[in-house]
Amino acid sequence: MNTRDLVLVALFTAIIVVLGLVPPITLGFIPVPITAQSMGVMLAGCIIGAKRGALAFLLLVLLVAIGLPVLSGGRGGLAVLAGPSGGFIFGWAVAAFVTGLVAERFVKPATSEARQFAGFFLASVLGGIVVLYGIGIPWLSAVTGTPLTAAATGSLVFIPGDLLKAAIATLAARAVYAGYPLLPARV
Amino acid sequence: MLTSLYVEGGSWFHRVPVRAKLVALALLSIALFATDSPFLLLPAFLLSGWLYLSLGLRPREALSRVGFVFFTILILAAVNLFLVPVPQVAALVLRLMALVLFAAAVTATATIGAFMDEVTILLKPLERLGLLRAADVGLALGLVLRFVPDIFARYQALAEAHRARGLPVRPLTIIGPLIILTLKDADTIAAAIDARGFRRQ
Repeated sequence: MNTRDLVLVALFTAIIVVLGLVPPITLGFIPVPITAQSMGVMLAGCIIGAKRGALAFLLLVLLVAIGLPVLSGGRGGLAVLAGPSGGFIFGWAVAAFVTGLVAERFVKPATSEARQFAGFFLASVLGGIVVLYGIGIPWLSAVTGTPLTAAATGSLVFIPGDLLKAAIATLAARAVYAGYPLLPARV
Repeated sequence: MLTSLYVEGGSWFHRVPVRAKLVALALLSIALFATDSPFLLLPAFLLSGWLYLSLGLRPREALSRVGFVFFTILILAAVNLFLVPVPQVAALVLRLMALVLFAAAVTATATIGAFMDEVTILLKPLERLGLLRAADVGLALGLVLRFVPDIFARYQALAEAHRARGLPVRPLTIIGPLIILTLKDADTIAAAIDARGFRRQ
């Protein structure tokens, strides 16, 4: 890993921390405010790619573990990792990796704008929703004893908000890709 | 801006080495998940709670640190009441809360420096395999702490620019410029690091 990659990873982790400090987004039609930080997985994978995106989140988990309040709402420390949603936090790195893999596969400089949008959206949904829930829900079920089906059904409430996040992340990722492309190409 | 969750203090738990505390946390999590008996879980919960509250945190601060996780646990417990027998729900609540309290106690009594020493030791095997360098992890960590205030200031400047033009402050129109402006600095920062030979390459 060269120094530039290392710096990109660290800067992206810092951006994710800042997204947790800014006020949450409130939308008229969804009752729960959306924290900008929760889009971090999708943004990291789509913007700096699989490997660097995953490393950015490993670095974030390290910051949480050593006791810095870097998560939205000033949360942090080992207590958050020990809680029921710990699986989602540990799953972020894998989710960012998968998002990056899909984005690298489908988005290339030569592809048309519409297909770039589609590629980023697909990557965000597969990595940021399917993979993340695929790790977080079984973990939650194992830790709390809630039956898996019940945990999965309950999580459906969050899907509309997540799709909206994927849409916002897609627009932002495509804007960055047009202005300052960093996504490695993959054949 | 990023103040560590460490709490100054001279309690006996402050003096226990970080490694011992982390090993204790790991062993506790295994032990608590191995039992369903309230006669073991209740004392564990009370002991962890007493430990956490004896560290010198003000009550409100102590509660706010674990409040969000406790809230999640109670919500899940409420759901579980309809799905699993009551004794099991009680065991779950006691077990998770005991674990969270102990984890919060470890976090409150270990400095960032002490934690990083342990992390460096844990990374040694990976370093020997040639997968990463422990010094790089420390460097990346320092970079994050260095740049969070800068990036936050940049966010506020972008929000201010929106307001000056009468535009609503929307994340959609801020995230793009924020990321581009920040990542464009990467080359300069990387050159500065290499020029000073921080990575000895």
